[in-house]
Amino acid sequence: MSTVDWKNYEPVLIPNIKDLHKIDVYRKNGGYEGWKAVLTDNEKWSDPKSVVNEVKSANIRGRGGAGFNAGLKWSFMPPADGGPRYLACNGDESEPGTFKDRKIFEYNPHIFIEGALIAAYAMEVTSIYVYIRGEYKAYIDMMEKAIQDAYDAGLIGKNIFGTDYSVEFYVHSGAGAYICGEETSMLESLEGKRGYPRVKPPFPAQKGLWGRPTTINNIETLSHVTSVINKGADWFKSVGAENHPGPLLYGISGHVNRPGVYELPSGMPILELINEVAGGMRNGKKLKAVIPGGSSTPVVRADQLDGVTMDSDSLREVGTMLGTAGMVVMDEDTDMVDMLWRITHFYHHESCGQCTPCRDGTGWLEKVMLKIKNGEGEIKDLDLLLDITTMMEGRTICALADAAAWPVRHTITRFRDEFEARCKKSVHAVA
Amino acid sequence: MPEVFIDGKRFEYDGDQRLLQFIQDKGLEVPFFCYHPSLSAPANCRQCLVKVGQPVKDRETGEYELDEDGNRVIRWFPKLQTSCNTMISDGMVVHTQETDDLVKRAQKDTLEFILINHPLDCPICDQAGECPLQIQTYKYGPEGSRFEVKKVHKPKRVQLGPRVILDAERCINCTRCVRFTDEISETHQLTITSRGDKNYPATAPGMEFDDAYSLNTVDICPVGALTSADFRFRARVWEMNQTPSIDITNSKGTNIDLWTRDNLVLRITPRFNEAVNNHWMPDEGREAYHLFNENRISKPLQKLDEGQTKSSWNNAFATVAEQLEDVSKDDVLLIGSSHASVEENYMLSKFASILGYNTPVFSSHIEEGKSDGFLLTDDVAPNANGCRLLGFKEVSGDELSKSVSSAKVILLLNDNVVDRGVINKDHLSNSFVISFATNHTDTTRNADLVIPITCVAEHAASYVNIDGRIQRSFPAKETKYTNRRLDFEMNEGRLDRYGTNFDNWVTEENKIDCLPFWIVINKISEEMGLDDFTFQSGREIMDEISSSVTPFEGVSYAKMDEESGIVIQKEKQTV
Repeated sequence: MSTVDWKNYEPVLIPNIKDLHKIDVYRKNGGYEGWKAVLTDNEKWSDPKSVVNEVKSANIRGRGGAGFNAGLKWSFMPPADGGPRYLACNGDESEPGTFKDRKIFEYNPHIFIEGALIAAYAMEVTSIYVYIRGEYKAYIDMMEKAIQDAYDAGLIGKNIFGTDYSVEFYVHSGAGAYICGEETSMLESLEGKRGYPRVKPPFPAQKGLWGRPTTINNIETLSHVTSVINKGADWFKSVGAENHPGPLLYGISGHVNRPGVYELPSGMPILELINEVAGGMRNGKKLKAVIPGGSSTPVVRADQLDGVTMDSDSLREVGTMLGTAGMVVMDEDTDMVDMLWRITHFYHHESCGQCTPCRDGTGWLEKVMLKIKNGEGEIKDLDLLLDITTMMEGRTICALADAAAWPVRHTITRFRDEFEARCKKSVHAVA
Repeated sequence: MPEVFIDGKRFEYDGDQRLLQFIQDKGLEVPFFCYHPSLSAPANCRQCLVKVGQPVKDRETGEYELDEDGNRVIRWFPKLQTSCNTMISDGMVVHTQETDDLVKRAQKDTLEFILINHPLDCPICDQAGECPLQIQTYKYGPEGSRFEVKKVHKPKRVQLGPRVILDAERCINCTRCVRFTDEISETHQLTITSRGDKNYPATAPGMEFDDAYSLNTVDICPVGALTSADFRFRARVWEMNQTPSIDITNSKGTNIDLWTRDNLVLRITPRFNEAVNNHWMPDEGREAYHLFNENRISKPLQKLDEGQTKSSWNNAFATVAEQLEDVSKDDVLLIGSSHASVEENYMLSKFASILGYNTPVFSSHIEEGKSDGFLLTDDVAPNANGCRLLGFKEVSGDELSKSVSSAKVILLLNDNVVDRGVINKDHLSNSFVISFATNHTDTTRNADLVIPITCVAEHAASYVNIDGRIQRSFPAKETKYTNRRLDFEMNEGRLDRYGTNFDNWVTEENKIDCLPFWIVINKISEEMGLDDFTFQSGREIMDEISSSVTPFEGVSYAKMDEESGIVIQKEKQTV
């Protein structure tokens, strides 16, 4: 029983149009009309503020994982003072289980470029940076081509559409660090420094890139801006869950028959996503667990999933989060100990090493997990792992320590019997 | 006055203040590693976590909201805050490890994390004894470790530069060294390399850490990761005496500490003085300890035929008196020294005025291009301004050569005029040269009589730096004639107090047979039948200077100690 009418949903981010990544195909399908209207239609869009208000009322919850209202974030930018202001677009999607932005880069780069331009105008930004993870070499090249095409078409650059608004657009390649997807360390990386997250406050809106006001948005978030401008905030709010509205890119991976990225309304029931959208479990196996939004979101047992939908409220009830909506589906054959070890390995590898609890804690977690995985663990190690997670949580500059600690905490508590079965039996007889 | 409550105690404060610094200034304690008062606060060690709250104010009236007991309602930050980068605000309530168990637990946890990959090789680590990690682990750390798996291994004994060696395993990644090269010396030579628990400080590939201030990173390193190539494995800190002193390798007057053991100065570290050198000193000044230990003149030397032979003190004093007796007063040349203290130069000038000789001259020691606008100066002598303020005539090399050639007897206070090229050694051959010096040099080798005097490490004396600031040294090592336990200027270390003469670190070898210059003058004048010179210490001389030489009015050792130096010359003289 579905509460969401997803079967009749028409995709807007990655619609089924051939060669949409080419600028003329995109423009033939109404592309860049919103951008033109924002700049030239003075009746509808009287000033940048009107764009901010429209986006704010659409309640686009940031699609990068934190879920903050994008328009509200824009309104934190201080008034323009004539100096440079920046929009940094976060395309460094590196979290295991998350692979949605690449679909936008690949199939519809111009909807993102248009959204970024609208956002830039709304915040009176002078330069846009799009930070793409280094492993996406092909998409970096595609993005560069798409941006060049837009430049050639007079959509970016000096005095766009004859107005006095000018903006520059740059692509910046990451160098293989997960931490550079954290917004402040992305700024450090853009400045050419080591990707160490910054201490907040000051927040990027006050002091961002090179000490200037900066807003950081996810690629998908900015792509939605285009739809909001074209179709209106009310249309956007009418799609999907009420408190987390709009279309959502679901990246479904794991033991399903048809893994992939699906654009559907938010608030999809998880079981419908698995069984109908993704074609059901592979080889007819039984569902065991789901990680709903990338590896840092706590894993959920199959028996918890009845009626759970993909929106922040419903997921909070079962003790997890929406994250990036990159779902990892696991069948009954999955070894949760191996799975958790692999996640701890990832965070150990990716911790930037700035804060003590994360630098040494992630390594400790992995090493103890390896011991348990190899059958050399003891029951006390499980309690140690849980203790280490409390020692790490909330004590670091950025959220990577939390992201590393949550999966450990929740996988052990939700699948404790499996972990205990892998541990050595105590040699001491219990009286 | 805005107020802040720390562990229930009320304090008033002024201006923008970092919470951690404020807590320290009030004599309270919160453990920390990465914070340094002169560097930025990156808040990365997470050791100084405290619980912070703000009182809730009524939006309309601006009054504090009160609970039913009449206490202010406090809104606590959801997470513990690092006190190093938290700015104090009015009404802030802070709970440290003294009053909050969660804070105590958080600090213990951080230390447990730091220690899991730390090699715990304190018994062979140079930092042991002065190691913040060691001290804070004893105070705030866990009882043991629950870490039963393998530690991370990283490079050891990495020669980062000519003077600094890195042990990456000991490093706790506080980034103080990196921030030092970024913010203080501005050479940007260090960075952190690699990621997570594998990271450690390094230079760019193929580059050397040859910063002129590189050894400061060793001082500020809170563990034994960065060690001095020179001092490594030389001594344990608790076996040394730490004596305040002044850098004599240039005219900046950098405040330093001399670390001595068995009357050898083993290392020099900077001492905090906000008005002069802050926490820092150039690497060059740290080499000066060789001058105090090596190549010292012990016992007077007299020229006989070709070479110099050791002579008795009595013979030396008698020789000086004899030489001065038969010569006309204008044929005596007294040369003061910018390398000697105010007290020594004053003794020379008093000697001249009582015996009717010309006022001493001096030649300043300038090496063009040495200055870097920070702590290095072109003037490489510590006391040129002191000589000027005493009224000495500053002469050029040519003038000095001329007057040296025409003099019959020359009294030369500790200045190596030959080696530094002010005069040629042949100029000295026409006269009887009496050199009062600390070290063997070409100048002393060409003197007819060499009388060894104490160096800055052996006496209390003052120096006027390039900015007209007078500061003084303390005796750090004993001579043949002094005794640490009898001299109230000298401090006693652990070994002095608890060691015995039979301990293997006690030898007599390192005591130099030399006397303070004022004692030498006392003896010479006694030999000449004068009774004007009875000075026993630098303190007495300074008291006389302050009452007789105008610029030094009001200067005393007590005042210098209290105010860490006194500015006596307002406008800067051109050097």
